[in-house]
Amino acid sequence: MQQIETQSSGGPPQHAKGTMLREYETIFLVRPDLAEDLVDKIVERMRGIVHRDGGKVIKVENWGKKKTAYEVQRNFRAIFIRFLYLGGTGAVAEFERNLRMTDDVMKYQSVKVADEVDASTRAVEADVKLPGDPEMPERAGREPEGFGAADFGGRRDDLGDEGELPPEAE
Amino acid sequence: MSDMKREMAFGDRVGGAGRAGAGGSRGGSREERGGGGDLERGAGRGFGRRKVCRYCADKNLKVDYKNAADLKYFITERGKIVPRRISGNCARHQREVATAIKRGRQVALLPFTVMQHQ
Repeated sequence: MQQIETQSSGGPPQHAKGTMLREYETIFLVRPDLAEDLVDKIVERMRGIVHRDGGKVIKVENWGKKKTAYEVQRNFRAIFIRFLYLGGTGAVAEFERNLRMTDDVMKYQSVKVADEVDASTRAVEADVKLPGDPEMPERAGREPEGFGAADFGGRRDDLGDEGELPPEAE
Repeated sequence: MSDMKREMAFGDRVGGAGRAGAGGSRGGSREERGGGGDLERGAGRGFGRRKVCRYCADKNLKVDYKNAADLKYFITERGKIVPRRISGNCARHQREVATAIKRGRQVALLPFTVMQHQ
């Protein structure tokens, strides 16, 4: 098997045919007030870290500034970044270690997507940048619409939400 | 088959004398009751139709923790996971939905709890 080049600077390493790696997915939340070029800088650094360890970045998605479901480090919004990459056994540990060291990253979560992916044939996908939620300066922390608005045939009271008052009750 | 067995067991408990006659009459009434039980199960206890698992009905639909809009359907106003008996999910998909919701919570796409502000 061909030795993988370990220059920290360059692009993705060339993988020998039949190199089996795992596919991971990491989502991390960046502070909402961070400038765009600084966000890109974090993304590029993380990309370099995956490549340095002989992994391969498949796709980077920037979901933009989105509302969070709850307060995260005093913020109700965050810039969501999703990394899809291939790597060996230590890839996630190294990736997360670097996220922890970055102060502007508030939260992260890694999930294994697939075992045994052939690194030489897995195609790299184009990066995606989404606009995120529209900006709402007033009461940005509030939920505009309730969660779980779904209708389950009028048996809601069966769910046993203790202490929940009906809307009209006083 | 099981009816027969139960009948036998019952007969044994009653005792040796008059087993055949007593067993026969009871058997008849039991049959009626059995029919009633089946109806009960079929027609339900008064709550609407049997729900079908969303993810089984649509094979293309995948449980994905990143898809918060779909998962909100399986969450109460309070942020709790809706039980299977309400949501109608099959066991497998309920399991997947539950883990997906938990993952979604971790990355702040879904709430752990929702404050009731008045």
